[in-house]
Amino acid sequence: MDYQLNEDQAALVAAVQAILRDHDSVPQSARLDFCHFNGDLQHLLSEGGFLDAGRDLGPLEAALVVFEAARAPVLVEAGASALVVPQVLPGEGLAGPVALVTGDDLGKAHRNLPIARTALVDLGDDVAVVELAPGDVVPVESILAYPYGRFAVPPDLSRARRLAGAGPALRQWWRVALATEFAGAAEAATVFTVDYVKQRHVFGKPVGTFQAVQHRLAQCHQIAMGVRYLAFRAAWSGQARDADIAVCYAQAHAQKLIFDLHQFNGAMGVTNEHLLHFWTYRLRALQAEAGGAHGAALRIAGHLWGGGPALRAAEV
Amino acid sequence: MIAALKNLEGFRAGVRDWLAANLPADWQQHMLGASEEAHIAFQKSWFRTLAAGGFVAPHWPVAWGGAGLSFAEQIVLYEEIARAGAPRLVLYFISLYHAPATLLEWGTDAQRRKHLPAILSGDEIWCQGFSEPNAGSDLAGLRTRAERRGDHYIVNGQKIWSSNAQYARYCLLLARTDPSAAKHKGISYFILDLESPGVTRRPIGMMTGGSHFCELFFDDVAIPAENLIGAENNGWAVAQATLSSERGLTILELTERLRNSFGLLLRDARQRGLVADDEVRRRLVELHTRIEALRVMINNMLGRMLHGAGVGTEPSIIKVHYSELLQDFTELGVRLGGLEAQYLQPILMGGGYETGYWMHDHLYSWSWTIAGGSNEVQRNIIAERALNLPREPKLALAK
Ligand SMILES: Cc1cc2nc3c(=O)[nH]c(=O)nc-3n(C[C@H](O)[C@H](O)[C@H](O)COP(=O)(O)OP(=O)(O)OC[C@H]3O[C@@H](n4cnc5c(N)ncnc54)[C@H](O)[C@@H]3O)c2cc1C
Repeated sequence: MDYQLNEDQAALVAAVQAILRDHDSVPQSARLDFCHFNGDLQHLLSEGGFLDAGRDLGPLEAALVVFEAARAPVLVEAGASALVVPQVLPGEGLAGPVALVTGDDLGKAHRNLPIARTALVDLGDDVAVVELAPGDVVPVESILAYPYGRFAVPPDLSRARRLAGAGPALRQWWRVALATEFAGAAEAATVFTVDYVKQRHVFGKPVGTFQAVQHRLAQCHQIAMGVRYLAFRAAWSGQARDADIAVCYAQAHAQKLIFDLHQFNGAMGVTNEHLLHFWTYRLRALQAEAGGAHGAALRIAGHLWGGGPALRAAEV
Repeated sequence: MIAALKNLEGFRAGVRDWLAANLPADWQQHMLGASEEAHIAFQKSWFRTLAAGGFVAPHWPVAWGGAGLSFAEQIVLYEEIARAGAPRLVLYFISLYHAPATLLEWGTDAQRRKHLPAILSGDEIWCQGFSEPNAGSDLAGLRTRAERRGDHYIVNGQKIWSSNAQYARYCLLLARTDPSAAKHKGISYFILDLESPGVTRRPIGMMTGGSHFCELFFDDVAIPAENLIGAENNGWAVAQATLSSERGLTILELTERLRNSFGLLLRDARQRGLVADDEVRRRLVELHTRIEALRVMINNMLGRMLHGAGVGTEPSIIKVHYSELLQDFTELGVRLGGLEAQYLQPILMGGGYETGYWMHDHLYSWSWTIAGGSNEVQRNIIAERALNLPREPKLALAK
């Protein structure tokens, strides 16, 4: 893939950034919350057609939108709407926000379910499309920076619309969306911390003057950059293995990122009065999804070398 | 893949065919545990083969006998050389990259005419004499002294870590010409003939067993004034041309080689019945994903260069990533190889850094976090230039 944004892509990114600039700040009243969903911003991105970029322009363009949105401290649901829906339902849109739900775990809490108007349920081979009405979902309290909720009553999937054979595509693009959101949040959290260590003075100098700090932040920058390029490649190539690689790389590095970014904010970094957790608690949530780094690694091993003992030289 | 490379499939097929026809299929057999003489002889013959195919100096301008390939074509060429597992031209690294980059940017026409054709003939091997016992990361602290006497400079002092200097005829030399000037300002850049009287070379043994580099001692060595490159005391600026001569293609080639050698790790995992082990699979995949992250970063950098854009700190980020990955990769090789992998094994001369002789590969990989600007120095660069963090305070030296 070519990592140079063409003119159209650059214009798309600039347009999303312009909207985000005006709407991405967390209101004072929500500063102590763990998550702040901005419905107005969701509406603007949706009405502006940005969440349709995957259908109108292509998956890489959709990933650019999702990445930008994920850099905001406020939450909007972009990954499922922009990256997943166009792949499992190429011809039509769905009422968003959209939540992605694992069918095996229907009774558990799901990310974004309380804000969603539609849930896509992974049934293995097929996908069920469940329209949500007020009262269908009970919010679950969580410190993660996404809203989590459960179905008040398990939906009757036999009556739901079924997308036959869409399961693999759902899981693949879910991972692309996950890695892309991870990349955006990781970059924003790094930038936030870098700004902090430039402003905060100790012993008469900015904290960021000290190498012990600089080198670990340089590492965070390197990780965030790697995740971003891998996520964009996965969106561009449409290969399932690339999606797994992006997720695995992201999830395997989550712990280091989260720890170092909090560390360099000092005691401020362990409070919820700072903005940092709006991004890092998203990383924390995302690191556990889709089987986690271990699951992703074993899937990749399967892609690359087949099942354990049956490994065939020809596949290497 | 970078878009500009799509149109080069014909070129790629040509390179591939040429390599299939010209790369000695059994070269690894001959170079495994080969003597230094045999290694040098094979390096020279592979140089001549590449030269005959027009591939030894793909990046040199046509006017100086190079192939004048476009940057995109060079990317394809290095990808294919790596894919074919061709020997690395380690002996000629400085000769083919650093020397011409320096001479083309700063040399006189006479210097270019004298040396560039001789390098292309394969006769002239160069080395780099920058580092000193007390000037590595802090290179500008170098003390080797060059004093002008008539139409010569007289050089006294010492260099160290000069790769392949034992085989070289010429050395890219930095020496201090004005000790009273500020650190970076009193340095000049010379072409030194290592056969001059007063030069002593001492190969240094490495922990891998081989002897990759040398110490160089200078005792009243006379360098003709016409061998000065650039103006007197402007050597620091000239050195930047030397240090930025590789332009990402070496790391591209090395990364593709690393990727191709994944099969060697699997071979060992298989032999020891470990491929079905989840922990081993996970470790293998972790390396795989890091290689893929490296590849997308390199592609991004090369893509930008193709568009004529600057690359910023990406070479530093990529160097840190590659070197630490290489160390973990070869370390897993040592572990998967069991006790046998720990024995002293023959060295695959000219084989690169991931030959599958793991103990050697692993020990050799330790050079990578030091050479070419240590990883600590690279992280300083990333912090200061990519993250715009404040520079570290310089220590105030007591007078
Ligand atoms: C295989 C190999 C080949 C080489 N080939 C050549 C060659 O052909 N020609 C040549 O001129 N040189 C060559 N070198 C030398 C190389 O350029 C130096 O080794 C390198 O610049 C580091 O210098 P040093 O070894 O003196 O380490 P030092 O500068 O003494 O550093 C020691 C340690 O301190 C750390 N350190 C230094 N400064 C800082 C800082 N500001 N902040 C934090 N940590 C710091 C370093 O990272 C390192 O870990 C080669 C080296 C190797 C290993």
